[in-house]
Amino acid sequence: MSIAEARGSPPGRPRRHVRLRPDLTTPALLGLPLAWLAVFFLVPIAIVAAYSFDVYSFDPGPHGFTLTAWDHFLHSSIYLSLFWKSVKMSLIVSAIIVLLAYPLAYYLALSGTKRKYVLLLLLIAPFLTSYLLRVLAWKVILGNEGVINTFFVWTGLRSPDHPISQLLYSRFAVMLVLGYIWLPFVALPIFVSLESLDRRLLEAATDLGASRLQAFRRITLPLSLPGVAAAFLFVFIPTLGEFVTPSLVGGTSGYMYGNQIVDLFGTGFPDWETGSVLAIFLLGVVAVLTVVFARFLQPRQVAAD
Amino acid sequence: MDVALSRTGAWVLRVFFFLVVVFLYAPIVILLIFSFNDSAVPSFPLSGFTFHWYHEFLTNPDLKGALGNSAIIAAVSSLGAVVLGVLSAIALTRRRFRGKAAVSALLLSPLVIPYVVFGISLLLLFHTIGVPRSLLTVVIGHIVISLPYTILVLVPRLDQIDVSLEEAAFDLGASRLRTFRSITLPLILPAVVSAFLIAFTTSFDEYAVASFVVGTRATFPIYLYSALRFPNQLPQVIAVAVVVLVLSLAVVIAAEVGRRVAERRFESAA
Repeated sequence: MSIAEARGSPPGRPRRHVRLRPDLTTPALLGLPLAWLAVFFLVPIAIVAAYSFDVYSFDPGPHGFTLTAWDHFLHSSIYLSLFWKSVKMSLIVSAIIVLLAYPLAYYLALSGTKRKYVLLLLLIAPFLTSYLLRVLAWKVILGNEGVINTFFVWTGLRSPDHPISQLLYSRFAVMLVLGYIWLPFVALPIFVSLESLDRRLLEAATDLGASRLQAFRRITLPLSLPGVAAAFLFVFIPTLGEFVTPSLVGGTSGYMYGNQIVDLFGTGFPDWETGSVLAIFLLGVVAVLTVVFARFLQPRQVAAD
Repeated sequence: MDVALSRTGAWVLRVFFFLVVVFLYAPIVILLIFSFNDSAVPSFPLSGFTFHWYHEFLTNPDLKGALGNSAIIAAVSSLGAVVLGVLSAIALTRRRFRGKAAVSALLLSPLVIPYVVFGISLLLLFHTIGVPRSLLTVVIGHIVISLPYTILVLVPRLDQIDVSLEEAAFDLGASRLRTFRSITLPLILPAVVSAFLIAFTTSFDEYAVASFVVGTRATFPIYLYSALRFPNQLPQVIAVAVVVLVLSLAVVIAAEVGRRVAERRFESAA
């Protein structure tokens, strides 16, 4: 007898020892979400993978499994060096803002300030506002005719003929804007790990004669490392595939791997096969990173039981 | 003596904290200032106060159309994401089944996929099955992106509430649907509202995926992006920027305050 039939049985009948649960069955609950992700998430990725091996194509002509595009990609200095350039830029941005965010989170979690959550909201709020508009703000600030340059000219610190021209459309601009955008967000996982730190451990260390610095190095820092790792990945992964910010403030020197993918699918000289290779390669790198660091990323509540 | 921070240390960190806050808000404040500046180019010196740019964007039909499209997409996609999110979160917290770790990993995986990869994947899918790009295709993509956020908000809340309340209702003869409607849903309602707001703001602001699957009718971020390439539109875009930034800050703060009030009420009632 199914659970549904058991529910319909008249009252007063002896309870079965199978414990009934007041929830829908697992397939009824998960059917729709999993079907949605299968059709609109997994299948599309599979199509791109198929495209990268030329198993599938919109171009006319015969097609079949080939590694040509992959071979070309793995031996091309252009795509791989662009990839390393993007890795370097993302690494630098992630490292710098994690270093900046750590003291912020430390202050909120451990200074005993009464307005901890208000201050946290103050810090996070910019992250929750429009991404494009925050990039726009920097475009207005950094341009040759922008706020910084015209301010310097206006105050007489620089002549109008010599603006600081490397401000906008540079690698620096991309990294500054990406750092600006992600800084509030990285403070969050670090804050959570510091917040859950048991202060009695620090008291014990102090009682046993450790200085604050020693207590920090031997207790606080190691215990907050999972939060730091999570924070690092939360920035590194999205910035690695970034294309919006570099296309707005990067110019040619700030051009990133993500821009290359967009251009290969763009209107200029589209090459969907090579574009698919680049996309799947990026996805593979991100997948490996996610799996390797899964224990930091997996939210505890969901992973439990 | 405080074990975590010396007095000087706390002072230094407080100064650092507020310097960072200034750094975070300064660009927003600069936009605010220049949105009232009576000049077609946002540069110093300021040339006078005007509401002209606000007036101009309020009478710009393209911009209003884009805002409307984004509002519709955000409303529909966040509704979809919340429904799928509630179903998933109940399964993850209330059911035992094989492969749970894999299922939860799959449900959360849109969090880490590079949007450029997801965007072209959807583009190829719609190309393959012959679905023309439109607002609907954007909605489909945004539901995928928002789903993990709604799950992350809903799961902790479902974990918090006492399962015996649901069991009691069920034992007293309420159907599964009735139990959900009268017990579970009211108890998780604050989280459902937060999930909806997070999904809404995610969708409303989403450019990367939308740029691949949007049709001829632009969303607000798509409109903004193209407007950024025409300097003569810059001042009115700045004016819109200010309105949207201020509104979204207000929504964020209101949502947070609301959640707190609801939680406090829940705690005092319990």
